[in-house]
Amino acid sequence: MMDWLEEIALRDRAAISEILSSKSIEDLKTDPRRGRADRLKQIKEQIRRLRYPRLAATEEEIRKRIQSLKLHPEIRLSVPAGLEGGRLQIEFTSASAGEFRERVEKLSKLLGTPAAAEIFALLAGQPIEEK
Amino acid sequence: MERFIPQELIVERGSESSPIYRNLRRALPEVPLTIVDEASTAALADARHLDPFGAAKRKLYLMRHRGEFFKKCPGSDGQVCCNYFVINFASNCPMDCSYCYLQEYLQDNPALKVFSNVDDLIDEADRTLQKHRGVFFRIGTGEITDSLALEPYTGMARELIPYFAEQPNVLLELKTKSASVESLLDLDPKGRVVVAWSMNPRRVIDLEEHDTASFHERLAAARRCQDAGYRLGFHFDPMIEYEGWQADYQAMLEEIFTTIDWRRLSWLSLGVLRETPGLKRRMRERYPQSRLLTGEQVLCPDGKMRYFQPLRVEMYRSMVQWIRRHAPTVKVYLCMESREVWQQVFGFAPACEKELGNQMAPLA
Repeated sequence: MMDWLEEIALRDRAAISEILSSKSIEDLKTDPRRGRADRLKQIKEQIRRLRYPRLAATEEEIRKRIQSLKLHPEIRLSVPAGLEGGRLQIEFTSASAGEFRERVEKLSKLLGTPAAAEIFALLAGQPIEEK
Repeated sequence: MERFIPQELIVERGSESSPIYRNLRRALPEVPLTIVDEASTAALADARHLDPFGAAKRKLYLMRHRGEFFKKCPGSDGQVCCNYFVINFASNCPMDCSYCYLQEYLQDNPALKVFSNVDDLIDEADRTLQKHRGVFFRIGTGEITDSLALEPYTGMARELIPYFAEQPNVLLELKTKSASVESLLDLDPKGRVVVAWSMNPRRVIDLEEHDTASFHERLAAARRCQDAGYRLGFHFDPMIEYEGWQADYQAMLEEIFTTIDWRRLSWLSLGVLRETPGLKRRMRERYPQSRLLTGEQVLCPDGKMRYFQPLRVEMYRSMVQWIRRHAPTVKVYLCMESREVWQQVFGFAPACEKELGNQMAPLA
């Protein structure tokens, strides 16, 4: 994390103390609703967002689209860390042939949705039209 | 570009009969010369310096190379390979790019060395080329040195070109960031020699490619080589992403294609900035103020950091589009990239390394 802070400081020509006292981090540090461990986790995530703003934004766009698909809890879509590999990972479990068929049919329907197409476009660095 | 002058020449006994020794003495009569029995031992003594890699660039060693000259380019784990071979006639380079992978690769052996046994080099290449006449070889000399940076002193390329120009199954690529082409211009490459420049916009050259020729010096040198009958190549590698990179790279391409006849190009390659975590540490030590490492790089499966995939795919796609406006059918390939990235950029990926290598062979 120190490397990230140093790189943000170099990139933004700011002191590390300025970054750590920025509003986005200060709000997390003083949030009374969170415990210490949770605050640290959130601060680390915020520093990552500051270090990798476009990567974090792309991941967030993908996450939103996955959420919009309203998947069955037994089906999980995820992307690799850092989006490297450009592939969407699909996991599902089923306890019977019937369930298996049902999951596959649901997944197959998802293929035709704009959200699914946009996920692949985002993974391939293609522009997405703003709605 | 300031003329590089080594502070000292250190010659291993026995190398005085080499044509490279004669060339060095003729070109650098004022540089102090020491003859040593064992050059590799003398080179190790310099490792105590605070910045051994930087210090090593100031002394020039001439010595025999005792291993093999001719090697397959190692490429990068799991990445599409272009079936390239390398001949290492020197080790390290007088230039000092802040991103240079040699900072890590040669950190235990950074001496700037030129190998004197050119006859052995040619004999070894000849044995391989003769034995495999049915195979087409693309061979480069710029893997662990710059192919032409020392040419005004060593005349190495001038020693090699006449041999390679006569071989039916080879393209010799001289890859450089210098403008040292004078000694090549009166030779006949017979379509077998590609002189290639690593190119970046002026801003990147000024900030990160220390002691190299300027953009215009490189471009003027390329034009002279084209006029002298050489085929040309350009390597846009490493591409650097920063605010305004698009305008800078487009302007660079515009100038290149205004000066160069694209039909004389054998190939163009694209690659983004990449470094292992070890190299990243070395870069931070040697160039702490460089902003190169503040880009959005992530660790890839081959152990190198690169801009995250959607970002670099977008960069490659833009470059290919801009290149195609000027040079619709020139061969463009990606250096050290995965099949997935090839697929996203071009819509296809070479089936195997031979396919990519062979695609470039008939263009010679």
